[in-house]
Amino acid sequence: MQEFLSVLTSLAWPFAITLAWLVGEFGQRWTGLPRISFYGLVGFILAAPQLGVLPLPEGGTTLLLADVGFGLILFELGYRINLRWLRTNPWIGITGLVEAGLTFVGVYLVANAFGAALIDRLMLASLSMATSPATVVRVINEQKSSGQVTERALHLCALNCVLAVFAFNATVGLWIFRTFEDVGDALWNSLVVLGVSAFTGAVFGLVVPGVLRLLGKLAQDATVAFALAVILLVAITYALGLSPVVAALAFGLTARHRRVAFSQAQRNFGALGELLTVVLFVFAASTLDWRRVWAGAALAVALVLVRLIAKTAGVTAFAHLSGISWRKGMLTGVALTPLSVFVILLIEHARHAGVQVVEELRAVAAVTMLLEVFGPIILQRALVWAREAPESHHAA
Amino acid sequence: MPLEPFATSAPLTFGVELELQLVSLSDFDLTPASPDLMHLLKRKPFPGNVTPEITESMIEINSSVQTDYRTLLAELLEIRDTLVAAGDVLNIGIAGGGTHPFQHWSEQRISAKPRYQELSALYGYLAKQFTVFGQHVHIGCASGDDALFLLHALSRYIPHFIALSASSPFVQGHDSGFDSARLNSVSAFPLSGRAPFTLSWADFADVYFAKMERTRIIRSMKDFYWDLRPKPEYGTIELRVCDTPLTVERAAALAAYLQALCRHLLERKEAPPLEDDYLVYNYNRFQASRFGLDGVITHPKTYEQLPLREDIIATLDLMEPHAQALGSLDALLHLAATASDGGDASFLRGQHERQGSTEGMVDAAIRRFRGR
Repeated sequence: MQEFLSVLTSLAWPFAITLAWLVGEFGQRWTGLPRISFYGLVGFILAAPQLGVLPLPEGGTTLLLADVGFGLILFELGYRINLRWLRTNPWIGITGLVEAGLTFVGVYLVANAFGAALIDRLMLASLSMATSPATVVRVINEQKSSGQVTERALHLCALNCVLAVFAFNATVGLWIFRTFEDVGDALWNSLVVLGVSAFTGAVFGLVVPGVLRLLGKLAQDATVAFALAVILLVAITYALGLSPVVAALAFGLTARHRRVAFSQAQRNFGALGELLTVVLFVFAASTLDWRRVWAGAALAVALVLVRLIAKTAGVTAFAHLSGISWRKGMLTGVALTPLSVFVILLIEHARHAGVQVVEELRAVAAVTMLLEVFGPIILQRALVWAREAPESHHAA
Repeated sequence: MPLEPFATSAPLTFGVELELQLVSLSDFDLTPASPDLMHLLKRKPFPGNVTPEITESMIEINSSVQTDYRTLLAELLEIRDTLVAAGDVLNIGIAGGGTHPFQHWSEQRISAKPRYQELSALYGYLAKQFTVFGQHVHIGCASGDDALFLLHALSRYIPHFIALSASSPFVQGHDSGFDSARLNSVSAFPLSGRAPFTLSWADFADVYFAKMERTRIIRSMKDFYWDLRPKPEYGTIELRVCDTPLTVERAAALAAYLQALCRHLLERKEAPPLEDDYLVYNYNRFQASRFGLDGVITHPKTYEQLPLREDIIATLDLMEPHAQALGSLDALLHLAATASDGGDASFLRGQHERQGSTEGMVDAAIRRFRGR
């Protein structure tokens, strides 16, 4: 019996991933909704606290694997960011700062109204600034969307993730030092983490294209080389306690500005990317416990709403100045709704850094679950309403 | 509906249309950005005119009717600067070039305009494969007869324009071996090629056009995709074989060359055009699009083999007095330099070699269009 159980346990992950993939494919076909919404749903249902098919997440290998999947996506996001745009159209950067700032303040106030502790309020507020790069990149690729809402969602997403990592690390730093006298230290510490992470990524961004050029195989082998480099980079940042998010973003950004081929056919890192995305989303949702989700539901709904309003208002305010219609500005704000995966990985990392306080953030779990399923759908709708996703890819 | 009468226009006035690529600066692929760009451009007055094209990743700009090369060039430069500034706001690169080197036709989106939707329904994938970018030059003609005379007299010089403007060596990610691969896409259309031979407008309108209309294959002149076609509503002939060059300077120079050639031909000192001139037409056209300036053409009257580059340089020399009279000497100098140094197609191949990727090549084309 014991042996049979251990066989079953070892089958759990492959089973869950296969099931999630199948549900994603059929679900997408029947409903037209994004595949990743279904991955999240399957992960959540099969998780230990729910059906109990999957073992309790304990970090380690699965977390590393999820991090690699996430790293690939962030590399791709970084690769699509054009820094020069932020210079030629400064309103994009200002939009990013304002929408993230408004979100921070809005979420902080709502959490306060719900009586959350200071540290919880700060953590919630900083996590909420971010938009999930995994969702944004995957849905945009899946829809083959293109246009101003798409472009701006990508750029603002990269921007608010960096801001969120900074604010989150500062908050974690604060929690570790436990006193406000050390605010300066916490901020400084967070800046250093950000800086060193970005630097590590940038070094990869210079070295990998250089090696590819030496090999003279820019076009054919770029995908494999970049994928291997991302795996290495994630492992290094993991070992050194740096931010894999910022490092992978910086890697993509530098590679792009070195004009290295990463062609359309290699979007999502092909089959490897597909596979790791399923793992990433199933893993992320499997860390959630329905009891915590339920307990935090009221706060979660309030948070999702205030976040949506803050982001939409922040982006819409600068729509005209930054050169698009009010309508597209509003839709860009709506497109920034997805959160999910990013938050979970940050929390998992904080847990590893010894910050137990996040266990009490029930609302985070609930927000995550809500947006794991609804975030991609909302983003997809925003792209369709903006007429940036070709008709044939819509839901019927 | 019978063909409208040939409108009167001042002879040798000219205008330029350029189809341009809208490129995402994120990944250097084409991006269906024309709705966003048009929205932004509506906010302030636009020099010349800008219109959406068949797929949403293209736009067409056109100059106003001009008499002088310098004012044409000035207008095109102003249009370019306005477009580039708008592109900067939206993270869109704007580029010339007859093809985008690695776009996939299947991913292009047909514009919402009813005419384009109709074309798409009729031509199927050809419509999306028509995501190619050309320069059209209009030349004003005093009468329909003059227009048809010029149209056929110019057939001998068509390879010049193909070779001087050729800027589409890459298709779907690979070097096609052609300097102008774009022309092959145009040839797929059933009503492409050359206009029927007649030098009388009455014959053209009342016999040929009337018959074609009765076949119900065509409804208007717009349905013909000829290399050179009369445009009765403007009182012009329209040259359609050029790839969009990488710079507006070259576009203006090509227009000025055509203007000078027309002035020369209208003196009627050369042997008049004949149906037999077209014996060599398709092969010469092929030589120019395949080998560009290195092509070898056959003279339609003497059947002499002429290296295209030498024929162009000799013709440019011959045009000097006309350019003097029209104030476009600089344009001919520009083209003479192009003929000897190599055109846009060789520039693009060089960039592909140097940058190591088609993305790098698109980036170089964008920078060249900006003029910086």
